[in-house]
Amino acid sequence: MKHFITNRRETLKLLGATGAVAALGSWGVPAWSNGGPGHVVVVGGGFGGATAAKYLKRYNPALQVTLVEPVERFYTCPFTNLYLGGLREFESVGHDYRELKDRYGVNVLHTTAQDIDAAAHTVTLGDGSTLRYDRLVLSPGIEIRWDALEGYGEDAAEKAPHAWKAGEQTLLLKRQLEAMDDGGVFILSAPANPFRCPPGPYERVSMVAHYLKTHKPRSKVLLLDSKDGFSKQGLFMDGWAEVYGDMIEWVSLSDDGRVVRVDADRLEVETEFGERHQAGVLNVVPPQKAGWIADRAGVTDESGWVPIKPATFESTQVSDIYVVGDATVAAPMPKSGFVANAQAKVAAMAIVSSLAEREMPPASWANTCYSIIAPGYGISVAGVYSVQDGAIAEVEGSGGISPRDADPDFRRREAEHAVGWYNAICQDTWGTRPA
Amino acid sequence: MRLTKPVFRGDRRSFLRSGAGVLGVGGLLLSAPSLLLARQPWERLDVVRELLDGSEPSTTGIDLDLPLVSEDGSSVSLSVSVDSPMSDDDYVESIHVFGAGNPNPEIAAFRLTPAAGKAVVATRVRLNESQTVIAVARTSRGEMKVATRDVRVTVSGCLSRNGDSSAMGLDNPRVRVPPNPQAGNPAEILTLINHPMETGLREGEDGELIPKRIVERFQVELDGDPVFEAELYQAVSANPYLRFHVKPRAGELRFSWTEDTGETVEVTETLDPA
Repeated sequence: MKHFITNRRETLKLLGATGAVAALGSWGVPAWSNGGPGHVVVVGGGFGGATAAKYLKRYNPALQVTLVEPVERFYTCPFTNLYLGGLREFESVGHDYRELKDRYGVNVLHTTAQDIDAAAHTVTLGDGSTLRYDRLVLSPGIEIRWDALEGYGEDAAEKAPHAWKAGEQTLLLKRQLEAMDDGGVFILSAPANPFRCPPGPYERVSMVAHYLKTHKPRSKVLLLDSKDGFSKQGLFMDGWAEVYGDMIEWVSLSDDGRVVRVDADRLEVETEFGERHQAGVLNVVPPQKAGWIADRAGVTDESGWVPIKPATFESTQVSDIYVVGDATVAAPMPKSGFVANAQAKVAAMAIVSSLAEREMPPASWANTCYSIIAPGYGISVAGVYSVQDGAIAEVEGSGGISPRDADPDFRRREAEHAVGWYNAICQDTWGTRPA
Repeated sequence: MRLTKPVFRGDRRSFLRSGAGVLGVGGLLLSAPSLLLARQPWERLDVVRELLDGSEPSTTGIDLDLPLVSEDGSSVSLSVSVDSPMSDDDYVESIHVFGAGNPNPEIAAFRLTPAAGKAVVATRVRLNESQTVIAVARTSRGEMKVATRDVRVTVSGCLSRNGDSSAMGLDNPRVRVPPNPQAGNPAEILTLINHPMETGLREGEDGELIPKRIVERFQVELDGDPVFEAELYQAVSANPYLRFHVKPRAGELRFSWTEDTGETVEVTETLDPA
């Protein structure tokens, strides 16, 4: 988080300016009607949404901020692979909203957002009531494209889980792994870009291999990929060979790795050129798009994702709606929790600035993706991003990737840093601390 | 386990570093008068203007599809479809694809016959940077059609920059022909071969340029009659992938891939309509 957006002096200057007009709007009354500084509704309480709600209040405590999130306890995707590997309890990736409510005064509504009327500036909630907003933040995450892979609809996911949203699906996959015979084949089908968490499928097979090596050593892991290359590929493949021998086999797009059909009843997949693979446990990471509420708001384009204005993360298609996190088209920034958190701070600053009619300081974002290959074996890739020539670009010379030739001590320290990172970002986002 | 060096990365800096010396002025061939008069993207490329040869192309009845944003310039899905009856006296005879921002703008040229049944082709291409991609189709009646698409190429920080192949030459040709295609309904054929598609612009570990070595021609015949042919350039991704159609009739399909070394690999498949 140390790279986040701006220098402190400018932030303080801006806070001073907005603080001067601050007068808390009474609840339920649109803020503009009584001269208050504004009402911001945030939809989605993951890394992006929870961070946005908190930082809106930090930048201007007088803002009225409402967070709409159905669940009272949110489970992060980061570190669920460690649960699958047996390195963590599932509850350790769960977070609540107490800090947002109690310390920051965010009005947290545990309900769904059903619709958005951009012209009227309203959000319709699960009970049919509406909220009026001056600015809206959407952090809707991803939606599975149920129509994109033959045989893989919502019913199929009950037999061949995606486990790409943390929760029941994660628990189901874990139960299936535990029930699998020693000597079975775990198959993971990885999608083409873009998708949530680029290193995720590769960390997942690492953690599954760790579980199998420990409990079911005759088993195999087959990774069928719709890509010819992936995040931290060299590091992952070195680690797989070193720790798991030949347990993990990766089949690239150009070796006929793309799954085109799923038979969830038979736990069988078929690849583009007609190869069929039978699984003991079948984990399909399917093609994705922006969370469905983004469609209702009219902010998605033909790709199914949300184009944004780079400097502010306001939608290019609908004004006063800001979108952060996995739903956005923000490449070269990856779809990661870290990035969602950083984007949310930029969007919060943009909103506070626009409501105060101030120019916002220039944005920059940082990201680190840690992956755990085995207990005490971590790798990472990091980058810093800024707006260059009107587009988001990686800052020249920033970031980097773990060295290929690092010693075991280096890998062990990176695994420790990964835990430090997770604890820090969860504390920054939800205010929760490790038990 | 295959770990090889990138062949042609979607990263402009490294590409220019390896390519600038060979290319000199690059392949864009902009001349001052054409630049001044150019109103459309295709008018800015000499190779496209030569192909059009003064005719005014239509921009309807042709569709060029690529993702708006691509996170890996080394392998970008591309498809072109042209509305055409594909009858003996009115069919699409060629589709040319160009990348205006590539060091060499030619990407591929496809030649079709009425036996293809449907003027839809797809492949995967290398795009050096964000740019306009152009497709030009010519029908047997001499009509020209053109489509353009602006593509943003970026490389995600969490994504790798390969998309390369460990194959040395022509390796593992794969073909997928539907088992019993319906007569009268053009059957979709997929082909893939493992090949590095060395651009000749990339430095090896010794700092020397790795010589160009590409699959330059792909041909499909049905009982000896030409169905589909593709001329490939360096901008076709490693492990060339091609998707096209054939009008089902019982016979033997012969597929051949030819390298610029002259080496050829052939595969045959029986076409057995329902």
